[in-house]
Amino acid sequence: MKAGIKLAGDHFSNRVRMEEWAYWAVVALISVAILYPVSMSINAAFVEDGKLSLGGFGRILDHPSVGKEIVTTIIFAIGATFGASLIGVPLAWINARTDVPARRLLEILCVIPLFISAFVGAMAWRMLLVPRAGMITKALTGWGWPPELLPDIYSLTSMIVIQSIFYSPFMYLYAVASLRQMDPSLEEAARIHGASHWQTLLRVTLAVNAPALLSGMVLVFVFTVGTLEIPMALGVPGGNYVLATRIWTLMSDYPQDLTMAASLGILAIMIAGTGIWLQSAILGNRKFTTVTGKGYRAKRIKLGKLRWVAFGIVFAYVMIAVILPLIVLALVGLQKYWAGTFKIELFTWDNFRSVMFEYDVTRRAIINSLLACSIAATIAVFFSTVLSQTRSRRGEAMMGLLVLLPIAIPGAVFGMMVLFAFVRTPIYNTLNIIIFAYVIGYFYLAYRTIYSVRLSIHGELEQTSRIHGASWWNSTRLIILPLLKPGIYSAWLMTFVILVREFSSVMFLYRNGTEVMSVVFFLLMERHSARLAAFMIIQTVLLLIVMAIFQRVSYRRSETIAV
Amino acid sequence: MVAFVSVTGLQKKFGNDLAIDGVNFEIEEGKLLVLLGPSGCGKTTTLRCVGGLEQPDRGKIEIDGEVVTDCERSLFLLPEARGMGMVPQSYAIWPHLSVHENVAFPLKMRRLGRSEIGNRVKEALDVVRLGGFGDRNATDLSGGQQQRVALARAIVGRPKVLLFDEPLSNLDAKLREEMRDLLKDIQREINITAIYVTHDQAEAMALGDELIVMNEGRVEQRGSARSLYNEPASTFVANFIGVANFFSGAAIADNSGDKDSALVRLDQQGSPSKTVRVRRGASGGSGEVIVLVRPEWVTIHSEASFSSDNLIEGTVSRSQFLGDHTELLVTTAFAPVRVWAEGMAEFEVGATVHLLVESKKCVALPAT
Repeated sequence: MKAGIKLAGDHFSNRVRMEEWAYWAVVALISVAILYPVSMSINAAFVEDGKLSLGGFGRILDHPSVGKEIVTTIIFAIGATFGASLIGVPLAWINARTDVPARRLLEILCVIPLFISAFVGAMAWRMLLVPRAGMITKALTGWGWPPELLPDIYSLTSMIVIQSIFYSPFMYLYAVASLRQMDPSLEEAARIHGASHWQTLLRVTLAVNAPALLSGMVLVFVFTVGTLEIPMALGVPGGNYVLATRIWTLMSDYPQDLTMAASLGILAIMIAGTGIWLQSAILGNRKFTTVTGKGYRAKRIKLGKLRWVAFGIVFAYVMIAVILPLIVLALVGLQKYWAGTFKIELFTWDNFRSVMFEYDVTRRAIINSLLACSIAATIAVFFSTVLSQTRSRRGEAMMGLLVLLPIAIPGAVFGMMVLFAFVRTPIYNTLNIIIFAYVIGYFYLAYRTIYSVRLSIHGELEQTSRIHGASWWNSTRLIILPLLKPGIYSAWLMTFVILVREFSSVMFLYRNGTEVMSVVFFLLMERHSARLAAFMIIQTVLLLIVMAIFQRVSYRRSETIAV
Repeated sequence: MVAFVSVTGLQKKFGNDLAIDGVNFEIEEGKLLVLLGPSGCGKTTTLRCVGGLEQPDRGKIEIDGEVVTDCERSLFLLPEARGMGMVPQSYAIWPHLSVHENVAFPLKMRRLGRSEIGNRVKEALDVVRLGGFGDRNATDLSGGQQQRVALARAIVGRPKVLLFDEPLSNLDAKLREEMRDLLKDIQREINITAIYVTHDQAEAMALGDELIVMNEGRVEQRGSARSLYNEPASTFVANFIGVANFFSGAAIADNSGDKDSALVRLDQQGSPSKTVRVRRGASGGSGEVIVLVRPEWVTIHSEASFSSDNLIEGTVSRSQFLGDHTELLVTTAFAPVRVWAEGMAEFEVGATVHLLVESKKCVALPAT
């Protein structure tokens, strides 16, 4: 018996070491993967020709237009942040808190723009509003509308509007989640104590949900500072450069100026950081607890006849953000060439056929995208699953911060950083560099999804299996993983979709032969609008199919984990 | 007594907070020990240490002659190697498994044969009165049924010790009583050693062969339900088990020669002083004492038709009719007293009453 006891003791300590060891190994791996590119680009900004230097920043000051571009970036980002809020928050309120008709359908439609890349949306609206050949332009001028009264699609205002429309789903999602969790008695109490509907809405509903809304706003702000999508599609043609497009130009046009690009990258991070700092400054230590763990079935506000107005508002948004863009892309894609209106005699399937089967760049891009995105999603989900098993509080807090770091780095800057990190290594010319950027840039997405499902699995489910004889591994295999499965599936699908539409960072990382779909959008942009439209439709359909699967999976999840 | 489970000097810190601080106890084979106390008293932590879900900082735990935890020698047996069964607070029925698969789990972990597993699962389900439920989806069952599945799962492997972590706290009052009786029957039937954690004193008294009352991480008192009720070691225990009134006072010289009783002079504002004769508690025979007076240890008289040292005058300040008895709050010169008047007796607020503090029941405890 004595021997048995000793054995048991060793048995335990080894196992603990194994679990902990695996956990810290993954933490170390991810820390290096995140911090290495960051340090390489700081190095690139301050070291020139092997010497410490501020030359990059000096050339920023001397540059004829960068000053103006910084201002444009800030206006663009602030404008889009408020624009996205003005669109996303009312939509969320209508869907979450009112008796608007066809709510289930509207809820799905409102997040679809998240799955259509903003680049696709921007190009579609270009096809609708471009001077002379735009579908809307042509139709309106045909009816005698003066062309000078049409909006200029290449203006900064249009950039802000389109960016707002396609990034509003982020605001929508944050607002919907927060509104659903709010205790409705907070509003009822305000009404009973004399506040009107509107006063309640402003002073209670908005105020209580402020933390969630501010988080959403910061996210949109940082995304907008680093996006290349709208700035490439609408900004460059109209002569409106922002920091992201300037960095891209410095990196890709000859003569390159890597030091100045890296310095601008640091500037962009500082702008994004200011947004993050502002958020915490506004919120201070005020922590609003709107969730009390009770399942609130919030009473919906009866709008009466106004509910059709609400329906109209949501429908108008869906029209602008989803339906019109898809219609124009489909029409353009089905024409031999585009002349501003759909002509039946120009109808052809050729564009679809050629981008799928004949044109080697697009064919390659489809395969590259599917390959890179599924590999990256699998890696991210695998590591997230391992990390979510930890029981160390310290580890959780650290990982939470670490995986969030890439979010604070604007997308284009992140692409540049990864490039700096691997520019002289063998993986530079391969798809691997894109996979790396995908995994690190969007790791938080997989991690947070899986982690939140892991949290919802009651600790006693696992502990009870241990008490009844399951080893750590058996408990993980037979209890935790099956319960985590729906979360793993939805994390994978979600990550996959977001990666397929990722544009800003891969623009720095593709080479001849490693183009992914969104890169090809850019390559086709000024060359062949009909093929571009066809290719965009193909990507959108692919993403919508994956999203439909995602909806089913996440629906089932809510059924199985009802513990 | 041969200890089947023995816990010595158990201590556990969470951060800087001492969750349990020097807990000792033993359990005889086949007995059910209840750990009772308010939330945060360390009872669940103690249970989890025995089960191996928590690693204590100090102390030693032995089960059936085998050391499962010994902090001095850095010995810690993993929970799965301890041969336990457990019914957790949330039931923890695995939602992705059927009733049969849930109950079969402990046997599968021991790699028993299919037919033996089948027989033993059926047997366990019969014991908890759930025969024929094996194919059901575990999450389709009601709360009480899930509870019984959890119990079947806990006993199917014939564990050395069965652990209960407030298993009835999620059930409604009626079902709780039913399950309580069922639990007791089953524990007797299969004659298993068990530790049962609860904060409900009625549950504790009904189930426990022995009770341990815990407070702030320490064992306050240990004993049978009867002894804890009649002779609590502290005002904490007196308050936690049953309803308690206290008079403070001092034990005075007693010439009666009765070793079992004590003469106590009660503290009061103003005069004259008052002396009552009560039982002498284990250590409440001298110096400052507190006299414990349970509501049913007092008889109420509207008039002082006889004379006794133990008769205390008071005024009814609240009267609540509760069906089988009327609860009165009586203001006296010493302390307000909650007493129960039987049956149909009616007392109006403001009426003067005389309380006979029964000397064979009320007890002097050491003042703390």
